[in-house]
Amino acid sequence: MQYPPNLRVVRVMCSGMVSPDLILRVLSKGADGVLVVGCHLGECHYLEGNLMAAKRVAMLKKLLAFSGIDPGRLRVDWLSSAEAPTFVRVATEFIEEIRALGPSPLRVKA
Amino acid sequence: MDDKIKMKVQELLQSGKIKGFLGLRERHGQVGPYLFTDGDDLEGLVVGDRFKPGDSRYPLNKQLMKITRGDPSGCYGVLVRGCDERGLKTLFGSGQIKSEQVVPVGIACPQDLADACECLKPYPDERVAGEAAEPRSFATVAKVEAMELDERFRLWLAEFSKCIKCYGCRNICPMCYCSECTLENKDFGDIGSLPAENPVFHLTRAIHMAGRCIDCGLCNEVCPADIPLRTLYKKIADIVEEEFHCRPGYGSPETPPGLNIRGEELKH
Repeated sequence: MQYPPNLRVVRVMCSGMVSPDLILRVLSKGADGVLVVGCHLGECHYLEGNLMAAKRVAMLKKLLAFSGIDPGRLRVDWLSSAEAPTFVRVATEFIEEIRALGPSPLRVKA
Repeated sequence: MDDKIKMKVQELLQSGKIKGFLGLRERHGQVGPYLFTDGDDLEGLVVGDRFKPGDSRYPLNKQLMKITRGDPSGCYGVLVRGCDERGLKTLFGSGQIKSEQVVPVGIACPQDLADACECLKPYPDERVAGEAAEPRSFATVAKVEAMELDERFRLWLAEFSKCIKCYGCRNICPMCYCSECTLENKDFGDIGSLPAENPVFHLTRAIHMAGRCIDCGLCNEVCPADIPLRTLYKKIADIVEEEFHCRPGYGSPETPPGLNIRGEELKH
């Protein structure tokens, strides 16, 4: 079992601390896509961290679409730490989606 | 319009209800914010319609925040348009100004200003002068939405590339009250270097305007590079409405943008 090697994992305490600023920063630094993975909804150790993440990602997706960046470059999914095979599937799927979209327009600027 | 406001302000100051009135004063051909404290001396008090309606507005709420912090027991009057009133409500809701410290003196904007602003509510709830104009919808947002994705990207990149990172949009913004700003955090961007990291520099500011932007349009007016920031922030207000079912400043001040998200059905 292996997840795609072109995925860089950044561990955080809770998906609720992934601020939109961080996602934007990562995109500006050349990432072609960002996958936010949190615990299952309703199972947050911090009560509502992943609910916040869900709202933030939904908002950021709409803002990205408005500013001409494909919202598909950002994806959110809910997995528990015991679901390694699902993580591999989600990661592989996401990489395939990003590959279909091509390099990020933020990256190819002069 | 000026006379009605002057009469109201005079009445408020003489009754001792307010310690001062924060409004605009025209002096030596310039309009600027001024705290009037004497009801008999309202020389130069204007509402900011110099050559055309609303051409000399000012983020009075930003000054009001400083004044009320310096004098936590005093009560002050302030000149408000529809947008300023929305700003006040949002600032009350986020605990930046106490509502009992403020007496708003409202004026309604004329129709041509409401049209130019594409304002959803060009009048405050309580107004001393002016007739309520017809609200307008966000045509500039619809225009961008009609474009294809890559066309939008080119448009915004062209606009953002004019940015000289003067931070004017942030400095003028009556809703920007954080003491530490992400845009000046070196972990989130290169400080003091040009060109700005576009489009992310402006998108970061846009996402921070979520739940705050009350659509006063001062950012657009102040921008030396004429970047249509207002269109971007109008859109973020629309997004907040879709996601949180509220628009900052339009509800009651007791309910800040719905962060009560537990138990809400989520779609993703």
